[in-house]
Amino acid sequence: MSGQAAGERAQATERNVARVRVAAGPLLGPVLARVVSMTLARADWPVDRLDDALLVCDALSAHAPAYAGAGRFAFSVNANEREAELRVLELTAGEAAALVRDTMLPVVGNVIERLAAVVSVEPDERGEGSELVLVLNSR
Amino acid sequence: MMPDMELALAARAENIAIVRHALGGFGEAFAVPESKLSDIRLAVTEACANVVVHAYPDGEDGPMEVLASLRGNELTVLVRDWGAGIRPRPDSPGLGLGLSLIASLAARVQLGHDDAEHTEVRMTFALDEEIASMNSELL
Repeated sequence: MSGQAAGERAQATERNVARVRVAAGPLLGPVLARVVSMTLARADWPVDRLDDALLVCDALSAHAPAYAGAGRFAFSVNANEREAELRVLELTAGEAAALVRDTMLPVVGNVIERLAAVVSVEPDERGEGSELVLVLNSR
Repeated sequence: MMPDMELALAARAENIAIVRHALGGFGEAFAVPESKLSDIRLAVTEACANVVVHAYPDGEDGPMEVLASLRGNELTVLVRDWGAGIRPRPDSPGLGLGLSLIASLAARVQLGHDDAEHTEVRMTFALDEEIASMNSELL
């Protein structure tokens, strides 16, 4: 196995990480919510915090299609009993920041920034794009 | 053509539930009847279980990929692994019914490899024409 293939395999088999790419249409909301909720439920998250995570999913589903390259929205989710990391993949740095800004609601404020413990934009592994990283806490 | 949904997970038994839930999202978005969705989930569960049990040597993790596409009145689900391929196994821990069950639930089943020699099980399910026309504008 080549080094690159071994690296790809290691990435694909990273424990508890689900990577998903989905058409940025009506499929996005149901798939994002179900994959995130199943992953968090499996990590024994309390229902109220799981519900918060689903609000984040709703906000992303509503606004992410505007930034979906090639009509696809890519994300990964990784959770343990204390925290969950939701990454929106295959973005540019500008798109990641704009996606967060778009989730501003009157009176409520910014949904993502209110519900996530950490909101950051990181370069992707290849250094060609950016990822929006959201960390949610279960307590 | 790009699939409508791609999932990449470690080939572990607990991840099959995530695949089943994601397919539920597919069913919700495209109004696939529950009875048909149950058949699809069962067939895909069998294909994923084959990956978990047979694809990689005991104690070794590997990737499991699930790709789904709706084209016309056909939903095609492809389950892919990077393992040793489908071959007779006299010491199989299962009943050996997986592929027969898949064949009875799907309109077509193809076993093969992609260009990188990853093992693939491609299942095609026929949906009602009415569903196909309802969904033709959605993707």
